Parts: sequence; C-alpha cells; structure tokens
Amino acid sequence: MLVVGALVILLIIMSLVFQSLRIDERTSAPSPDRLLAMTILLESAPSGERISILAAIRNHEISARVVEQASAPDLPQLWPSGSAELADYQRALEGRAISAFRLEGQPLFNGGFGNQRRATEIRVALTTGEVLIVTTSSILATGVAGVPVGYLIAILGLLVALGVLIFLHREFRPLAQLAQAVELIDPDNDTIMLPKIRARSQELRLLVSAFDRLKTRIDTLVEARFALLGGIQHDVRSFATRLRFRIEGIADETERAKAEADIADLILLLDDALLVGRSGVHKLDQELVVFAELVTSEVAERVDDGAHIALNVNPGSEAVQVLCDRLALRRILTNLVDNALSYGKSANLKLGSDADQVFLYVDDDGPGIPASKRKLLLEPFTRMEQSRARHTGGAGLGLAIVRQLVEAHGGKLAISDAPIRGARLMISLPRFKP
Amino acid sequence: MKRAHPSILVVDDDPEIRQLVCDFLAREGMSVGSAADAQEMDAHLESTTFDLVVLDLMMPGEDGLSICRRLRSPNGPAILMLTAKSDEVDRIVGLEMGADDYLVKPFAPRELLARIRAILRRVSDTASTPATRRFAFDRYVIDLDARQITDQKGQGIALTSGEFDLLTCFVTQPRRVLSRDQILDRLRGRGVEPFDRSVDMLVSRLRRKLDLAGADQSLISTVRNSGYLLVTPVARLP
Repeated sequence: MLVVGALVILLIIMSLVFQSLRIDERTSAPSPDRLLAMTILLESAPSGERISILAAIRNHEISARVVEQASAPDLPQLWPSGSAELADYQRALEGRAISAFRLEGQPLFNGGFGNQRRATEIRVALTTGEVLIVTTSSILATGVAGVPVGYLIAILGLLVALGVLIFLHREFRPLAQLAQAVELIDPDNDTIMLPKIRARSQELRLLVSAFDRLKTRIDTLVEARFALLGGIQHDVRSFATRLRFRIEGIADETERAKAEADIADLILLLDDALLVGRSGVHKLDQELVVFAELVTSEVAERVDDGAHIALNVNPGSEAVQVLCDRLALRRILTNLVDNALSYGKSANLKLGSDADQVFLYVDDDGPGIPASKRKLLLEPFTRMEQSRARHTGGAGLGLAIVRQLVEAHGGKLAISDAPIRGARLMISLPRFKP
Repeated sequence: MKRAHPSILVVDDDPEIRQLVCDFLAREGMSVGSAADAQEMDAHLESTTFDLVVLDLMMPGEDGLSICRRLRSPNGPAILMLTAKSDEVDRIVGLEMGADDYLVKPFAPRELLARIRAILRRVSDTASTPATRRFAFDRYVIDLDARQITDQKGQGIALTSGEFDLLTCFVTQPRRVLSRDQILDRLRGRGVEPFDRSVDMLVSRLRRKLDLAGADQSLISTVRNSGYLLVTPVARLP
C-alpha cells in the first residue's frame, strides 16, 4: 500500500514538473539574433542566392520564404502588443516591422492519437520592401486529449507496477506464512507441523517442502539425541552395577570406600550430563512443585549434614508453585549452595515472589565475584580459581549447569554482590498459573 | 509365611548382573533362581513358588512394566523393580503398576538386601493382602481396582471406560504435566484413536463431568505447548 501511494505521488509530482516545463510556442520560434541574421543575409544577398540561403535555413522545424508582400492573415497574434517578447524582437530587428501569429495545430494522424504540430508564423518586413515569413513548427508527441505520450507511458508504467505489486503480494503471502510457521518450530513441541501453505510458484513450493523436510530432520535429530542419552545412561548404569558388586571383593576397607565414591561420582557426572542434555532438547519433566517446600527440605537435609545455611521465606511466598523438573531443581539448589559454601563459610538464602515469578537469592560470605568475571563464570569449565584440581571444587560445570537448567525452565540466573560482602546468585523461575 | 530361606527370582537380561546379584543373595542365605526374560521367568514360576521377584524394567521382549502388571495378584510374589534409567522411576512409582519397591542402578548390594528384607517383612505383616489402590483427591475418592469414583457424599460418578483410564493417568501421576503423546501411550488400545484431538476431547469431557459433580475449579489444567496436569494433590487411602 505504501509503495502504491508513493508511486501515485511520484506521478503527480512528475506531471506538475512536466506542466511547468511545458515547451510553449516561444521556444519553437527562432531567437531574435537568429531572425536578425536571416533578415540581414536575405536583404544583402543577391537575389540569385536567396534560394540557397532559404534552403540552408530550412529544417524539419523551421522554414522561411520571401514574398513580395503579404496581407495580414486571419490568425491569432502570438504575442500580445506590448509584451516583452515582442519588444525583444523589435529591438533586435532594428525597427523592422514584425508580426507573429499562431497557426492551428494539425494532427498527423486522424483519430487524435499521434503527433501534433504546434506552429507559429513570424513576418518581418525586409528593407528591400519584401516580407520574410518564417514558419516554425515543433512536433510534440502527444496522445489522447493532447496529453504528451511520455505522460501516458508513465501512467502505463504505474499500472504495470501496481499489477506487479499485487502479483508479488500474492506470491509472497506463502513466504510470510512459512516464516510464521518456522517461528513456531521448537523442539519442545513436536505437535506443530508446518501448515499447508498454498504456493503458486514452483520456487516457493520447493522452499516450503524443503522447510518441511528440515523440520522432520530436526525432529529426528532430537529423537536420536534423546535415544542416545537414554542408551548411554542404561549401559553406564549397568556397568556401574556390575562394578559396584565386584568391588565388594576388595578387602581393604578404605580402598573399597574410595571405589564406591568413584562410582558415585561417575553416576553424578552422568546425571549432570543427562540433565543438561535433556534440558537442551526440552525433555525435562514438568511437575507442579511448591517451590518453598522443595527449597526448605533441601536446605534441611544439608543443615543436618552440618552445613551453615540460613533460609528466609518471604511471607506470601510459602505456597507459590512452579512447574519444574524436580531432579533439575534439586541440582540447581545443590550447585548454588555448594558454590556458596565452597567460596564462603555459610550460605544465606532468601526466597521471594512477585505476580509472575519466584526468586531465590543465594548469598555467601566469601570474597565475592568481580563484575568482569561474572559473565565468564556462566560458561562451562570456567572457575574462579585457575587450578583444575578436583578437590578444590568441581570441573567448573556447576554454574553452567545451573544456568542451562534455569533457562530451560524459562527462568534466569544473575550474579551480583551480596548486601554486606560476598557474592549473590539469584535465580528466578516463572510461577505456575492455572 | 515368612521363611528362614526366602526364595528370590532374579529377572534381568544382563547375564553378568544376574550372576552377581544371584551369587550375592545366595551368600546371604536366600534360595535364588534366575531368568533372562519373561519366558524363562514364567517357566520358573510354574515349577516353583518365589517370595519375591527382582525384576529389571528394560528387557527385550516383554518389558518389566508389562510383567509387573501381569504378576500383580493377591497370591503372587512381591516385586522389586530395577531400572537403569533414573527418569523411568516415575513410571515405576506410577502407583497403579503394582511394584512393591524399586531401585535405580547402580545400587549397593547391601541396599538391595535391605530393600528385599523390608518388602518381605511388609508382605508377611499384611498377610498377603495386597495394598488397595484407592486414592483421594479434591472431593473425590477413586478406586482403581473397582473402577469407580465417588464424591464426598458417596455419590458415584458415571465415567466411560476411556474417561476412567484418563483419570487413572492423572491420579497416578498427579501434579505432573502429561503430554498428549504420553496420555495416548497409556490409553492405547483402550478405545482411543491415536489422534491428538481425541485426547483433547476426552479431557474436556472428563473436565465437564468432574466440574458438574462440583469441583471448585478446573482440576485439570492445560499447559500451553505441553499437555495437561492434575493440579490437586492425591493421597493414597489405606
């Protein structure tokens, strides 16, 4: 629509410009200098050369002839007496009598569509007593009702442009539908298929079917990844079961305890990888959980083990529910609390909510996290200490896992400073609304 | 019916695990049999009476879930499920299935022993009456075995078999979003055509019946792009 409007406006402007530039009769008449030159030449030349001079003057726009005398024709005056043009010519011709007339235009073709002559006749009284008649005619290409052909072409162009626009609009509509459908494609939801898009052109049909296939391929990839995760989990757990029975044969008790811990770590790592993998393909569970209850029980368990953790639940947030994967949420809490306890001596948890979200602040009393490192810490395998030793902390996956799991739940993880000292990690999760 | 030497049947397709578990249980003074699949298990059960079956969930052929449903009877053996997939715990816990307990692999041998002993103790205490499958939610009581649902006045609510099966899905996995696929999976072959829309229609019919019967708000909530969930908690009745 905008384009159509712009085109119409452009056409109006162009016709206005055309109107103002319109070639009128004045420009088709010879200039005063030229007329003077003709006059002097013809006056001074021997009569035998006049034919040649007249022939030299003539072209498709101008022709001149010399007559003995001429009566005033019954034609409209070109210039009104006293006009500036007339004065110019009179001055240039040094007092010779001059008169100019407008000739009627004659269509070249009958029917009005074609070229039209716009002609003038200028008469100059020569000093020899004869009269020089200069006829000029400019040929303007014009169409119906005297409208110039260029103007018609512009309108034709506009119509073609409008037609093309309408055509393109119809052709592009399937593209817009396709874009909309592609927006909705999400591994979370395999029930969305591309809608049946009716495209006329071959190219668009190809594009739509290519997207259809792409969607199917993505679905297959996600399924394959999920199946792979399941297969790995099954086999690793089976091997670990055998191993767990075999180490019963180890006589040295401390060695056996170490082997048990190794197997437990192995399974923990597997679980983390699976959780992250599942969250990546949106295969997490969705269970309705009272957030504060889960946090409270998790904290109580840790406090029983001797950890210094304080938990404050804001009034009004006790019953707020979230849709989450229970396992994933526990992993989030464990990682955040572990982090706080490994960088500080105690963890201070605050739980709150607003109309849309629940928040959990986990503050520690450690050295804090400089603003420049905050972003980097959310990436996998980065840790505050540069040493990679397992005993001073995990593999550096903790916060990356927290971030991925929180984001998979539609929430956010943010790092800032705790009010007094130390670091504050905040997670927010959307609260459930039936 | 507690015996000095309880008899245990170990059903697992992994020969190593089967061997290791059997050896361990035998050392602990139990009489042990082992089977690699459902057929071998059936052969054992025909000839011998076992107190408890240790049953792996994922096996080729008939899987543990289906075996579990089949074995569930007043005089049948107790069942301890094993699974190598932590995310399948939900399916086992899905209370209608009838396993007495479950363990996620890998487990410590002592843990296995403790669970087995606990189950056997429980079974002998309740003198072989299996737990009823009655649940209370909102103002309703549903009995999965009698297949009936009553409101707080004891008034029965007439549900079609498809609606009852759907409600069973929700009650056994309360407060958990069930996708249309999951629901279809559970209802397959029970008069529900495999179309997404058929689940939607079934849910809306069930909603209408429960709401007509006086539920405060819609008990079944729709989660956009995911599925449906039963919002209210469910309690198991004795």
